[in-house]
Amino acid sequence: MGPKDDRGVRAAAWERNLARLQATAVDAVLLGITLLMVEFLVLAFSGRRGPTGLLLSAEQILDLLHYAWAAGGGLALALLWNLFHRQLGSSLGRAWVRGVPDWEAPLEWTQTLRGWFTAIFIELTFFSGWLITELDLLTFLTKFGKAADIVRGLMHPSGAVLHEGLVLLVQTIFLAFMATAFAIPVAFVLAFPSARNLTRNTLTARIAYTLARTLMNFVRAVEPLVWALIFISWVGIGPFAGVLALWVHSVAALTKLYSEQIESIDTGPMEAIAATGASSLQVLRFGVVPQVIPPFLSFTIYRWDINVRMSTIIGFVGGGGIGYILKPRVDLGEWGEVGTLVLLIAGTVWLMDVISAKIRERIV
Amino acid sequence: MTVESAIRIENLGMVYPGGVRALEDVTLEVHTGEFLAVLGLSGSGKSTLLRCINRLIDPTEGRVWILGEEITGAKGGRLRNMRRQAAMIFQQFNLVKRHTVLTNVLSGALGRSPLASSLVLSFPPEEHERAIAALERVGLGDRFTSRADALSGGQQQRVAIARALMQEPRLILADEPVASLDPALRHSVMRHIEALNRDEGMTVMCSLHDIDLVTRYATRMVALRDGRLVWEGVPDEFDQRTFKEIYGEDAQPASNTGF
Repeated sequence: MGPKDDRGVRAAAWERNLARLQATAVDAVLLGITLLMVEFLVLAFSGRRGPTGLLLSAEQILDLLHYAWAAGGGLALALLWNLFHRQLGSSLGRAWVRGVPDWEAPLEWTQTLRGWFTAIFIELTFFSGWLITELDLLTFLTKFGKAADIVRGLMHPSGAVLHEGLVLLVQTIFLAFMATAFAIPVAFVLAFPSARNLTRNTLTARIAYTLARTLMNFVRAVEPLVWALIFISWVGIGPFAGVLALWVHSVAALTKLYSEQIESIDTGPMEAIAATGASSLQVLRFGVVPQVIPPFLSFTIYRWDINVRMSTIIGFVGGGGIGYILKPRVDLGEWGEVGTLVLLIAGTVWLMDVISAKIRERIV
Repeated sequence: MTVESAIRIENLGMVYPGGVRALEDVTLEVHTGEFLAVLGLSGSGKSTLLRCINRLIDPTEGRVWILGEEITGAKGGRLRNMRRQAAMIFQQFNLVKRHTVLTNVLSGALGRSPLASSLVLSFPPEEHERAIAALERVGLGDRFTSRADALSGGQQQRVAIARALMQEPRLILADEPVASLDPALRHSVMRHIEALNRDEGMTVMCSLHDIDLVTRYATRMVALRDGRLVWEGVPDEFDQRTFKEIYGEDAQPASNTGF
């Protein structure tokens, strides 16, 4: 065996071991979660009482679970299952990473341990989920009376806030517009380094890709509401803070949409332009930009639409716009006035939706 | 290395990142002024070979010279200057669909245009004149304001030829230039490529799969099979036996290929 073959064999063995590791890791997580759910349900139905003498709440039980033991137990079970996969059949992780062997393929799910495990796992998830989120059908069906007041108020909008509402509606639309407009140039520039297909060739490009992607994922992960709070303490309560909050979030969202669009372009024109001896900026300008402009416009209009909706929530915490006067009315229970404002917002959102759909239809 | 070789390829090999080998040990010389046809089944490596010559694809092994200068390993401005010498024509035309015909032809001049003004699609008046002249040569002088995607396939490929002409190259690399055109239109496009070769003295290297077109236009031909060069000769030497050698024992020449 030559040195070349030797390397091939070693690589294959390494890959097999990596697959085993992945399979065991997946199983360990699944089995660990299973153990936790079992412990949770046992505690929930055991009738144990807390220090106050009441039955334990779901939150208290979650606090009591033995997480480290579950992790260890899950890992041990996963190792056993993967070690004795010939006797027990492939585990879920093994089946996912390596596929099932021929002898297992024709079996029904009821004939494999994997099938039963999956079924039980799904059952456990729903039982635990029901208790953890405190679902209560009885209350849902019998206690509508309190909410009826609100609904009645919403159905009888009061004209008292109509004037103020309309003024702030204009502010809301402009707030969303400014945030979107300022987001366009930044997202446009960031979209190119965030596109996988343009950043494969050089090390600098790959670093730029990683940086841009990481930054944008972080920004997008932080809710606009949190950005609003940050900017309110920075520039003070008012629409400017709202513009900044929506701007930051829009930059991240548009960068992602733009870069995905760049990733799906036809590479033919890029090749053709590169073949003329053009520089990489010229290749972008001629081979990429013309292809992505129409979808970019369409995404941007859609984003404006989303920003109008979001600015209501931003207004709740002091970011300007119609949400700003909605919050006190909700707190005071002025449901008629809330109804007016909600109708104004709904009407605007509906109108924006129709208009933006029409424009997008035309562009693409 | 002789001065008269337009392209020189030595031990060229290409393995794609997934591990697929597209070319293996290809050594080949393209003489100045000839019309070289490259034959082979789809997947035999024709496209990869052509793209390795102007480095749209970076070969993993071997070296390539264009007009006596080595392009493998060239970087930046030097690579771009060498690309200017070799215009490329594609099966799918690869025009910028939303640009006008004129802008598409003008993009052939990008290699020699100032960066800043080219980015706002502005070209000097003499380039406009050249572009119109190139369009007139391919019979589309009246269509320069149309959007590229408003044209038929045959017209789009003629615009692509005008773009190549605009580049003022010494070589033409053509990758199946007529494969996606209606058979009735193939000669109209091939004749324009032939004219570049005969009247302008440009060396042409062109992959084709229609034997009829090869015997009609090429002065010499080479054949690839599974990424290897398996045959080299002139169209007159091409016969039934060579056909089987290139396309495999099961292949049958189409009824209109003249055998």
